[in-house]
Amino acid sequence: MRALILSTVALATLAVAAPALADDAKPLAGKSITVLLPSPQAPNIAADFEKDTGIHVDLQTLSWDDIRPKLVTALIAGTAPADVTEFDWSWTGQFAAADWYLPLNDVIDKDTVADIGVAKIFTVNGNLLGVPYTNDFRVMLVNKKHFADAGITKMPTTLDELVADAKQIKAKGITQYPIGLPLSPTEGASTSWYLLTKAEGGDLFDKDWKPLFLTPDSAGYKAMALELQLLKDGLVDPASTGLKDSQINDNYFAKGLVSIMISGEPGRLGQFNDPKQSQVAGQVAAILVPTASGQTRSYGLPEALGVPRVSQNQDAAIAFVKWFTSKHFQIENYANGVLPTRTSALDELNKAGKLASGDVLVAQSKTVEPLFEQGTPTWYPQFSSAVNTAINAVAKGQITVDQAMKNIADATQKAMTQ
Amino acid sequence: MKPSLAYRLTIWIGVVLLLVWSLGPVYWTVASAVTPSADFSIRPIHFFPQNFTLDHFERLLGINVDRIGGVEVWKQFRGALFNSIVTALAATILCVAMSALGGYAFTRLDFPGRRVLFIAVVATLAIPGYAVLIPLYRLMIGAHMVDTYLGVTLIYISAFLPLSLWLMRSVFESLPVSLEEAAQIDGAGRLYIFFRIVLPLVGPGLTAAAILTFLGAWGQYLVPLIFSPTVTKPLTVLIPEFATKNFIDYGLITAAGSIAIVIPALVVIFLNRYLVTGLLAGSVK
Amino acid sequence: MTAVAFQGTDARRRAAGNGDALLGVLMVAPIVVTMVALVFFPLAQTVWDSLHRINPMEPGTPFIGAANYTNMLSDAQLGQSWVNTFIYVAIAVSVETIVGVLGAALINQVRRGRQWLLAAVVLPWALPGVVNAVIWMWIYQPGAGLLNGILTVFGLPFENHVWFNDRTSALIAVSVVHIWRMLPLTIVVVLAAMQSIPGHLYEAARIDGASRPQMFFAITLPLVRGAIAVAMTNATVAAFNLFDEAWVLAGASLDTRPVLTQIYLETFQNLHFSYGMALSLVVTIVSLLVSLVFVWRVYHTTRFE
Repeated sequence: MRALILSTVALATLAVAAPALADDAKPLAGKSITVLLPSPQAPNIAADFEKDTGIHVDLQTLSWDDIRPKLVTALIAGTAPADVTEFDWSWTGQFAAADWYLPLNDVIDKDTVADIGVAKIFTVNGNLLGVPYTNDFRVMLVNKKHFADAGITKMPTTLDELVADAKQIKAKGITQYPIGLPLSPTEGASTSWYLLTKAEGGDLFDKDWKPLFLTPDSAGYKAMALELQLLKDGLVDPASTGLKDSQINDNYFAKGLVSIMISGEPGRLGQFNDPKQSQVAGQVAAILVPTASGQTRSYGLPEALGVPRVSQNQDAAIAFVKWFTSKHFQIENYANGVLPTRTSALDELNKAGKLASGDVLVAQSKTVEPLFEQGTPTWYPQFSSAVNTAINAVAKGQITVDQAMKNIADATQKAMTQ
Repeated sequence: MKPSLAYRLTIWIGVVLLLVWSLGPVYWTVASAVTPSADFSIRPIHFFPQNFTLDHFERLLGINVDRIGGVEVWKQFRGALFNSIVTALAATILCVAMSALGGYAFTRLDFPGRRVLFIAVVATLAIPGYAVLIPLYRLMIGAHMVDTYLGVTLIYISAFLPLSLWLMRSVFESLPVSLEEAAQIDGAGRLYIFFRIVLPLVGPGLTAAAILTFLGAWGQYLVPLIFSPTVTKPLTVLIPEFATKNFIDYGLITAAGSIAIVIPALVVIFLNRYLVTGLLAGSVK
Repeated sequence: MTAVAFQGTDARRRAAGNGDALLGVLMVAPIVVTMVALVFFPLAQTVWDSLHRINPMEPGTPFIGAANYTNMLSDAQLGQSWVNTFIYVAIAVSVETIVGVLGAALINQVRRGRQWLLAAVVLPWALPGVVNAVIWMWIYQPGAGLLNGILTVFGLPFENHVWFNDRTSALIAVSVVHIWRMLPLTIVVVLAAMQSIPGHLYEAARIDGASRPQMFFAITLPLVRGAIAVAMTNATVAAFNLFDEAWVLAGASLDTRPVLTQIYLETFQNLHFSYGMALSLVVTIVSLLVSLVFVWRVYHTTRFE
């Protein structure tokens, strides 16, 4: 009798344990998570992830500008907007100070962190708050054919050469407004100005957060003056005061109406050289950012995946983050315009010849610095808004460059003390 | 009094202006939606599309799945449409019922706090959504009503009640009391008077309130963006997601806009008949 | 006999009066419950929160009294946005009221096809605000937009004109879109009131030899005064809350930025929540005050029943 009971118990235990053993390969199978990413994303993400891990994904995509208000409203109310969310470099200061995201130091292995250079931008006070998945840094995108038609054989390496080339392209009647530069009060205008400041050989702030752009001989001042001059010389379309960077990319550059994107995104090379998505396929290349000194510089604006502290499915969420940022997936996702953050992935793509303008990108990526050495400040959004509002007003002739720089400094001061 | 020629001419010119002003932009949007993108920059401008294409609509309704983030477009579209209809209808019926009852009470019945209460409710018209958004969100989370039909319908009701109430009260006020007094003398109770005598006379007011509430709820964007993020997402939130702000393709936007125009247009045309009949029934000679 | 009848009626009236109060309370109960739970309570919380510092980036929520409010006085961007908002209110309310009343009068005169005319007129208001803004963005577009296209056809030099580069034209452009959307509301509200005017009043005036304009000013206008007040108040509040149009057409650009955009930026961009709440309260109070001025002037002879 006892034997019977014992064996029944043993069998029962095995019966319970067996499925668990079988699922060892997919420990989290059956769980369900929500993921919030900016649109557009690849069509098969949810399906592929479920196939690999058994975790069901409800993938929500929103336009990038709508994500932040959604995150903020949910997080301030103490709920998770999703189990995995988009986490932009410019939010690190604010979100870290608000302590909304789960530090991932313990769950992301050291090799991954070493492989992803820009992870340091998302490490605040030693906490890794997000794993970067798209490696946006700035490089200059040009239409080679326009340059060739204008008789220019050497790509510009200094700012003066760039302006001269643009004037030549305009003079030959190839494009009416050769330079694409957003001047609307949007993030793209700010980031273009940051790039030009770097190109003029300077930075935005010193290590004590004192503004470095106030005097007429400072890099930031010169960058703003340069933008105004380009507009006045007819090299930049006056309608740019109402255009975002993405609009100039898609509606002007991709249609051959603009020859030079000053603050170019390397991830778009695939799109620009795809005949289905662009009218200038085969004509677009990346060149190193021309600078005043001739020595190229650039900075990074990566985006990461983060897991909010209040998420109820942290394990499954972390699994998604790892999968999405794995070398294998990054190489696959490159076809959708997402530039890998892993150096290993970039190298592999370049060796296989699949990385458009690969050598330039790899070279440029080595010169990429974070925009703020000390980390993104908590008042960054306010600062950026002051910058692009000022650029917009200068472009419309409503204030002088002097006044603009002063406005930016004042707003920064106010932001820092509030 | 036979209308003079000058008078009739003025009226006709006025009508034409009003029509062009109201419908012109709508026509232009629909016309652009069926014009190939290449033709957009043709100068001089053509008011009628020279070439006809359904490409924008095809793209919008999901033939090119890759572009739109890989989710089944038609299913999402159908779901959002259903959500919009359900929440707008529910909010309308409840809001109009509440304002009819309340409007009558504020006009004819004397109860403590009548005046203060009315002013307080109508004054909330002035409160912008942002002023209560975050506390309201916390409240809804606590009541587990986020992303539910009930939750968002209640918010719509609270948003449109003030105007609806004020409208109904004005309508009740303009009814002569004599009708009701006569019925009272005959021994009729208040509720009987309300349902059998007063209510039928305020048809136009009820319809106007219903139209205002329905269309207002239909067109809401910010509230459902926050309170109806997924399951109960309405059309107004879905459509901008399609034509992503990163890629302002005017063909796609005008196509999405055209679709968004169809439903309110249908509603206005059909509800309008009731509005006009109601108005004509009590109309001026 | 009459005395008895009167007494009976009075007694019944008194009894009915008490029942009235209870019935009245019951009939308005749903309204009260909804508004208290969803508006008054959150509003009270907003007021309370505006006296503290609520900023998710900083620990704790200390009481800071009126600091949020005094900070407003030194906020230059805020000042500019107030100016813009008042300009919008002035333009929108005056145009909507005048054209709205005239439009309602016009439609009132039309017999055949009135339902179609009404349908056409109401359509702009029926569309979601986001859609409106996009429609007009397309019309104002410098290269391919309808506005520049039409003006060029007439030989005027507006090829590729960027309407938002000049502050005045930008403000007017945004106002036009707002008016396009809100005008039908005034028309519907005023028209409904015009329809309730008893016909015999006009008959009597006609017999007395009054002309149409005279009848309009002497009979129609005074009797729709209440509706005009409703419409103007709504127009004012809507103009104070102008957001979608300015945001879609011009984004955060300072020369067209209304107060609500400023609140949005302070709350969701800078995460200064309590400051944003304080601002929304101020906007509420200001728009209420301005509307009250209208209501007072239009209503000053009507007493609350």
